[in-house]
Amino acid sequence: MRISIYRFNPELDVGPHMQDYDVDPDSGDKKLLDLLVRLKTIDDSLSFRRSCREGVCGSDAMNINGRNGLACLTALSTLKEPVLLRPLPGFPVIRDLIVDMTQFFAHYHAIRPYLINDEQPPERERLQSPEQRARLNGLYECILCACCSAFCPSYWWNPDKFIGPAGLLQAYRFISDSRDTASAERLAYLDDVYRLYRCRTIMNCTEVCPKGLSPSHAIERIRLALLRESS
Amino acid sequence: MRIFLGQRAWLLQRLTALLILLFVVLGAAGLLAGATPSYVQWHAFASSSLGAVLIVLFFGALCLHAWIGIRDIVLDYVHAPGVRLPLLALIGIILCAVLLRVALTMAAHFLPGA
Repeated sequence: MRISIYRFNPELDVGPHMQDYDVDPDSGDKKLLDLLVRLKTIDDSLSFRRSCREGVCGSDAMNINGRNGLACLTALSTLKEPVLLRPLPGFPVIRDLIVDMTQFFAHYHAIRPYLINDEQPPERERLQSPEQRARLNGLYECILCACCSAFCPSYWWNPDKFIGPAGLLQAYRFISDSRDTASAERLAYLDDVYRLYRCRTIMNCTEVCPKGLSPSHAIERIRLALLRESS
Repeated sequence: MRIFLGQRAWLLQRLTALLILLFVVLGAAGLLAGATPSYVQWHAFASSSLGAVLIVLFFGALCLHAWIGIRDIVLDYVHAPGVRLPLLALIGIILCAVLLRVALTMAAHFLPGA
């Protein structure tokens, strides 16, 4: 199998280049990450992130044949050769397939990704009805792999100001939580020409999410919540 | 200018789009129904108070919609403040001039001696 990988070592290279590898998958190699781990034994200078290898940690997000995805969830049988592997587009490259996610997590922290509730806590726990809990489905499953934000043209244009689909999905996860009492403040923070309204409903985020979530739907719900809040 | 930022701009863009769509659909329906107006009929329509109000309303919605749309494009692609601010000002002046010209033309029908 031929794989062409984006290589860049800032300490040695003047600029990035693509390096071709020919490697035969073992019978046990089912996913792209299996093959990358095998490649690493051949060329230990190749750098990429990975951890859980089962689509939970979100570390191995990369651009695979032009489409963002998780190497650990991408079956080798579905890939067209040569397999082109690049780092997440729009993110600064640290080395090879490893990108700098500082800005991405700064946006995540800016939306205050935790429950805010200053009311006296009950003796045991803040209860939710099954309906209230169901509202969090499709939101809480996000693993922050950044596949969506790195595939969003609006995020490429304004990565410093637009929160991006991942951050906005997380923001809506807390806005819609019945136990959170800071929805009004959260919405007021998002009501900004850059933070929320840079979204042009391109929907690349929904198209590419490896967990099957829909950030564009969450963004639409935030806009509707803002409309209700102002009327 | 809070009205041109965030949610209000987004809402205004959609409301003006609906208004423009309404005018376009009504105009297209009129043409499809075979009612191709002559110059005299157009002139009579534009000279009536209802026609003048509708024309100014249409161009008002068009200019406002265009302003929000073009401003969004500038915010996306033009990042240098030295270029962005003059460009936004130029676009704003052009759209205001278009609207002013339409309003003055329509008002001219109702001024004494017109």
